[in-house]
Amino acid sequence: MKLLKPSWVNHNGKPIFSVDIHPDGTKFATGGQGEDSGKVVIWNMAPVLREEDERNENIPKLLCQMDNHLACVNCVRWSNNGLYLASGGDDKLVMVWKRAAFIGPSTVFGSSSKLANVEQWRCVMILRNHTGDVMDVAWSPHDVWLASCSVDNTIVIWNARKFPEIVMTLKGHTGLVKGLTWDPVGKYIASQADDRSLKVWRTMDWQLETNITKPFSECGGTTHVLRLSWSPDGQYLVSAHAMNNSGPTAQIIERDGWKTNMDFVGHRKAVTVVKFNPKIFKKKQKNGSTPKPSCPYCCCAVGSKDRSLSVWLTSLKRPLVVIHDLFDKSIMDITWTLNGLGLLVCSMDGTVAFLDFSQDELGDPLNEEEKNAIHQNIYGKSLAITMESQLSSTIIENPEMLKYQQERQGNQNPNEAQGIGPENQTPKLTNVLNGESLEDIRKNLLKKQVETRTADGRRRITPLCIAQLDTADFLPALFNSVPILPGSSASTQLTPQISSDSSTANSLGLRPSHDPTTTSPNKTSHFPSLSTNTFSFSGLSCSGTIEPMKALDSRFTERSKAMPGVTSVPLTIVVLWFCLRVKDSSSVKEPKGKDETSSDSEDKIMVKSIAKRKGEMEGAEVVEKRKKGRPRKDAKTMPFPQVTFLLSKDAWISKSTDGAFSEGGFTVSTDGVTYLEVENEVSVVSGSRLSQLKWSREGREWDVLLPSRIIIAAGSSNVVAVACEDRTLSVFTACGRRLIPSIILPVPMSALHCSGHFVMALTASAMLSVWDVQKQTALVKNESLNPILSGTDATVSQSFLTQQGVAVVSLSNGKTYCFNSSLETWNLIADKQDSLVQCTDFRNCVSAQDALGSMGPLALTQGRNLSAGRLASRLSSTPHHLQQGMTLAFLEKQLSSALILLSASEYRHWLLIYARFLVNEGEAVREGQCHCSQG
Amino acid sequence: MAEVQVLNVAVLDNPSPFGNPFQFEVTFECMEDLPEDLEWKIIYVGSAESEEYDQTLDSVLVGPIPAGRHMFVFQADAPNTGLIPESDAVGVTVVLITCTYRGQEFIRIGYYVNNEYTDTELRENPPLKPDYGQLQRNILASNPRVTRFHINWEGCAEKMEDSENVDPAPNAMLSPSCTPGKAPPLGLVPDNSMNCL
Repeated sequence: MKLLKPSWVNHNGKPIFSVDIHPDGTKFATGGQGEDSGKVVIWNMAPVLREEDERNENIPKLLCQMDNHLACVNCVRWSNNGLYLASGGDDKLVMVWKRAAFIGPSTVFGSSSKLANVEQWRCVMILRNHTGDVMDVAWSPHDVWLASCSVDNTIVIWNARKFPEIVMTLKGHTGLVKGLTWDPVGKYIASQADDRSLKVWRTMDWQLETNITKPFSECGGTTHVLRLSWSPDGQYLVSAHAMNNSGPTAQIIERDGWKTNMDFVGHRKAVTVVKFNPKIFKKKQKNGSTPKPSCPYCCCAVGSKDRSLSVWLTSLKRPLVVIHDLFDKSIMDITWTLNGLGLLVCSMDGTVAFLDFSQDELGDPLNEEEKNAIHQNIYGKSLAITMESQLSSTIIENPEMLKYQQERQGNQNPNEAQGIGPENQTPKLTNVLNGESLEDIRKNLLKKQVETRTADGRRRITPLCIAQLDTADFLPALFNSVPILPGSSASTQLTPQISSDSSTANSLGLRPSHDPTTTSPNKTSHFPSLSTNTFSFSGLSCSGTIEPMKALDSRFTERSKAMPGVTSVPLTIVVLWFCLRVKDSSSVKEPKGKDETSSDSEDKIMVKSIAKRKGEMEGAEVVEKRKKGRPRKDAKTMPFPQVTFLLSKDAWISKSTDGAFSEGGFTVSTDGVTYLEVENEVSVVSGSRLSQLKWSREGREWDVLLPSRIIIAAGSSNVVAVACEDRTLSVFTACGRRLIPSIILPVPMSALHCSGHFVMALTASAMLSVWDVQKQTALVKNESLNPILSGTDATVSQSFLTQQGVAVVSLSNGKTYCFNSSLETWNLIADKQDSLVQCTDFRNCVSAQDALGSMGPLALTQGRNLSAGRLASRLSSTPHHLQQGMTLAFLEKQLSSALILLSASEYRHWLLIYARFLVNEGEAVREGQCHCSQG
Repeated sequence: MAEVQVLNVAVLDNPSPFGNPFQFEVTFECMEDLPEDLEWKIIYVGSAESEEYDQTLDSVLVGPIPAGRHMFVFQADAPNTGLIPESDAVGVTVVLITCTYRGQEFIRIGYYVNNEYTDTELRENPPLKPDYGQLQRNILASNPRVTRFHINWEGCAEKMEDSENVDPAPNAMLSPSCTPGKAPPLGLVPDNSMNCL
């Protein structure tokens, strides 16, 4: 064991109350007291780990410090995916931080420290609810919830996918709640408080599971924190300060029956913090000795007010190591590195210590597969087990996913340790300003800035916007780990849940199972191919008509470029299907309802298809291993509370087709999940290959065989439609009865959507058809997309079908059209580049409640957060009546668009805004209208 | 939820003759579109002795403010010399920039200002009645004193019990230790293990 006290990790001598290592291991955060505020600091891990990095002046030690907390910070915790940092403090606030990629280094204005922040972490959410100091915060497995506890005796469960929504406030403690820990299985959350109790709450109904008081009856409320911890196998919960025979202990509580028979004894003063190592270990095999099957064990670090730290292995009766006098004051927090071999400890005395163990000392950490096996043994084939295996993959994979995303965003230095020079980033700011440098702007700012007088004669300055924030950052609903991939059909509405799912699903799909030979460098190398290498849509017989099809999706072009001369390269298609559960069957409150277009119980689900070319041999091996090694039921891994579905991977020799596009649909009703599953080449009967379509919902299921390879499948609660390679389209009822004989299409299908009784088909020749299969009529008959595609090089980026059977097509140039079957025209319903949109200013007319009413197909096409008014501020120089006119025109456009989409709620929403606007701007508008009538 | 973070204040035209207008270039970041304007004020402290000599040089509204990073230059006329006590005209004083939202002050930035004669002759023998024409104003731009206040961004200024800075140093944990000495030292107690899995 090596021990290090990096003296440069300090808060200028002020106490450090909390420390947490980032899941990717490259940085860690500390929280505590600042000069006259609370302070959160993010540090580089590399100088702690390596001496040469510590000496290298080019490697920054401090990455970012945040003084936003108004009072001492008691707890900092990274989310499991590493994207967010949550901090809680004496100012009663919980702040959630996210890294801002676009901002260059800067100092904290007014702080005495002149050190520039290398990374920019911005507070994206302030969670206000506690009426007293926040003592501890904890992210649930999968970052579904964030829990915070406070001296106001409550625990608040926040919906981490939809901040600042509160899922539940847990009341019951009668003293200051000073510690929280989630069950790694996700079934419970435990809290410890000054009221001499430890309570375990169920996450299913947020009710009290058990209340443990006996070991705490002798305790006095003398510790600042009571950070308890749950073992990684979920079997043991270890409390902070407990008493046994008037000696301080850390009480071990067994999951099985919540028995309290064991404890960690030996500290001279109260235990403040317990932290389990995230790894489960097994005995290191010694050379020569016969490998005896030894029990796996856990490792736990205990910190105390007696300033000493003890590290225990659950296989030993005595502590592995005890370190006295490490600090001058009480230990406040402990964090392990993800590999389980490193440990950071912080203290009230304002210093931090790092402990580095070797595998000889701790043992061999189990890999994820072995860990999953343990979980499987313990928790059986319940939901918990699937969650559990998901959990492990989340922990392992997501930091990598995070890295991958950052690489993809291209504004990220892949190596944190090398830091980001100011020069690298500042140009980005200037980009925002149309090529004008920030310096130029500053020179003329006074002259250029717009100053007006308000009605009461006061000066009003319109500030110059020098950088727009990515508003998506601020959408609480998008509080998840993965950016929305383009082309996600019809699912923007559900993106929050889905895209977070996609991270887990992606990692699932591309993860080379649990094969130890394929290690992370391999894995990461696959990720880029994930997004770029999608489907080409060339080939087939009708190459003449295929042209518009290429335009259908820009993603499709990618592959055809990569393919020349390699037509014989076998392709491996991994199709990921995901589906989400609206509600965990019993009582998990999934914050969905508000998002739904209307009262309908039906939603569209995005399905992603991922093709991987067998370019490099490793990649091929990986996928093949998966194919063979992974039994099907394993593939059905269910994260919590969503459900991920993986299926239908097969390889075939590409001769006439360069790729296949598979798509599927799921319907989700409020009380259950529907799966649609496609398996191509399920069997070969006398030379013809059969494909199978499976449908299941709440245990009921049916399947049907089709004579040709299935390209796309989609479904709604009423119908299921399947397009095959032989250019047929089959439609079934939700009960599996074939509704109509196969429809023969002139060209292959490109996109297929179902909604209610409507089926929408977009063919490769860019023809659109919509049928009402119940009435057996065609609403749209082979209508060409040429009118909207001609003259542009835009491609179709998204298409969907509304509840009312209106087909909507979005192009990559930001324009969205719907086809009106009664007028038989294409109508432009949204245009992201529309100058009207950007110049309108009706924010005064929007109330908070309106935001909810604005969900629907129109909002879907225009983006959740309309960029309306983006330029408004810069255009203040334009005459007021002009802006008014633009706003009016825009609102009227919205109204008519909502009308043509038959979207009642949106029509109402925009009508309200329109009415308010007319009222607010009363006189001028009336004048304008008078002019109109006179003219 | 909304929050405005002041990222930088650059003092322009500094040092400058006493009669020149004050110019501050303010850069701030806003996390969400603000439905109302920010109100910025420049306050010149005429005398350290009493607030009665504080002059609000100007106040401006700044808006509209969509989410993002913004900058503007706040220019305000020099203080009215008639309101400054003659004994305090020369020497060190303070200029404050404050910002309020919905009537609640959330940041106060203070700068030391040194007013002195450029002319050595005058510096050594300052006239009884200050000669403002000869005075130079030098703002200590490198050392702003920033105080941030906790305000209610959503609603109005109804009740913000903690609008002043919260007392830092939480000393609650410095209470006496619990029952020391009775427990045996670590490692000497045999039966304290957890069963293995």
